[in-house]
Amino acid sequence: MPGSAPSAAAGVWEELSALSGDDLHERLFLQRLLEEWCAAHGAAGAALYLRPPAGGALELELAAGEGHFPEELDAAETPARSLPLPGGLLSFEPAVAAAGSHPLALLLAATAKCCRLRRQLKDQHFQVNYRGVELEALYDVGLAVAATLDLEQLSEEILLRAASLLDARRGALYLVADGHYRAERTFGGDAGLSFAADDRELQAFLSGGAPAPADLLPGARHLLGVAIEIESSPRGFLAVGDKESRRGVGPFPPGDRRTLGLFANQAAIALENARLHRQALEKERLERELDLAAEIQRQILPKGAPEVTGFDLVGWNRPARQVGGDYYDLLPLAGGRVSLVLGDVSGKGMPAALMVSTLHSALRLLLDRAGLGPEFLERLNTHILESSASNKFITLLLAELDPSSGHLQYLNAGHNPGLLLRRDGGVEELGSGGIPLGLLPGSRYESRDVVVQPGDLVCIYSDGITEAEAPDDEEFGTERLLACLRRHRNRPLQAVVDEIDEATIRFAAGLPQRDDQTLILLRRQEA
Amino acid sequence: MTESLNVTVDRRDGLAVVYTEGYINNQGGEDIARVAYKLLDEGYKVLLLNLAGTKIVNSIGISILIEIIEKMIEIEGQLGFCCLTPTIEKTFHIMGLAQYARIFPDEQSAVAGLRA
Repeated sequence: MPGSAPSAAAGVWEELSALSGDDLHERLFLQRLLEEWCAAHGAAGAALYLRPPAGGALELELAAGEGHFPEELDAAETPARSLPLPGGLLSFEPAVAAAGSHPLALLLAATAKCCRLRRQLKDQHFQVNYRGVELEALYDVGLAVAATLDLEQLSEEILLRAASLLDARRGALYLVADGHYRAERTFGGDAGLSFAADDRELQAFLSGGAPAPADLLPGARHLLGVAIEIESSPRGFLAVGDKESRRGVGPFPPGDRRTLGLFANQAAIALENARLHRQALEKERLERELDLAAEIQRQILPKGAPEVTGFDLVGWNRPARQVGGDYYDLLPLAGGRVSLVLGDVSGKGMPAALMVSTLHSALRLLLDRAGLGPEFLERLNTHILESSASNKFITLLLAELDPSSGHLQYLNAGHNPGLLLRRDGGVEELGSGGIPLGLLPGSRYESRDVVVQPGDLVCIYSDGITEAEAPDDEEFGTERLLACLRRHRNRPLQAVVDEIDEATIRFAAGLPQRDDQTLILLRRQEA
Repeated sequence: MTESLNVTVDRRDGLAVVYTEGYINNQGGEDIARVAYKLLDEGYKVLLLNLAGTKIVNSIGISILIEIIEKMIEIEGQLGFCCLTPTIEKTFHIMGLAQYARIFPDEQSAVAGLRA
């Protein structure tokens, strides 16, 4: 070969030989060959163009020297100064003689094609390896089902992996919440804040049948999106925008929809697990709070009844849930007097329990400062109004007993009437003297008095007892309560409570307790 | 979160540490390559890419990193990576980068390993 290259000095061939060793420095080798061709033919510059495997315009492979050589040449527009070669052509400037006779041109074309083939193999090797990365990513997201239960962390992981796998410049992960798709994570720029779950334009886009909504990834020119579903129920969607290549950005090829779909399937399971885990944690937190609230409420309710000279006294409460809206207190006052309180907060559960706590604090505070009278409830009403939600109210029966005289002063704010069973069998009601607390500002209340005679029994109760329901919707009612009281009125008061409790349970015939139940029983001992 | 990449360099007595923060994609890869080739022009033949600030790399970014590795082999230099996320480290192994560039868990061991 050196003999057929008259312009090539021996040093050039040694140099080319070194460049073509085991570790071929292809670009330098081809560059030197092209420079030698120019030198051999007196060309100022030359460029080698090769036909791509898929056909189409000739692509610039390399250039040397001076001259304008475009990146691509239309196959139909062969330059005037060019030499056809197998698989391409050599373009040169200016015109030179006997350009086609030099074997360097053939060597250059053959070597360039080999080098291109080598690069193609390298690219294919890269693509095969990258398929491995895709499979690993899918596998890893599957593993994340077990490893990552943090929804925010998982969302970021899913979005970043999807964007990197598909060479996307932009991306967004939307999750369904309250009938809307809301952006949980975005990547590479802003995304539209939310879409209605039944947005037809969006649904058409996710099924591949329509362009993306304009505000999905503002500024992105090419978008791809797939739904995230669990058993055909939408949980969200993944969207990516602008597929990158070395030449810029372009559309996503059809295979990318399949890849993103596979990814979304894995992500759906992972996201569902994370969502369920978050729900379980939330439930656990609420349970802990309820336990704490129940404990606080147990501390609020009296541990036992105070000793009242000449009287028997007992209080009892059973909430329908962990924490309840019923409240009672048996509070010893100065001079041997005792205060009896029974309140019922509208609603049940935690909100009612918070109101109970408010009522307890206010009662303790105000009872220490003011005597029992209408103004007491009026101040309490103002306090409850100011410190509670607008839809909450409290019925309350508050009484104060002077044991030395049996005189019982009471105030009833919308509570069901207490019952006074006279020794002779007669019944008197401790009726209402005003509307429930917390309903209206400026409410007025009326104080009333009775005298509890020896052998008389007072029963203050919450409607959880009289409104206990049987399977046929009949209520336990005041008459059944009175019958119980009459039948057991001379037994120890705790036994009377137990009888009433058992009677309501029997009446409900297995139905769960629907409302909190509270009782206060006060009996004046026989002289 | 931004799509752009921040690249900073710490030159240390013959070794340069290149810190990246953001997405190693086409633009990010080109930014790294530009910085790396400038360092080679300055005479640095040992480069460490600290990717602690990078959570995501795509195939274009990887192909550019491979080109940098090829360039380092051509000049008989050394290239190391450190502080990779588990995902990126796994990707580098699958894509063959780990065959031609060393991967270290942290910068301290990387600097010591590349200087040894």
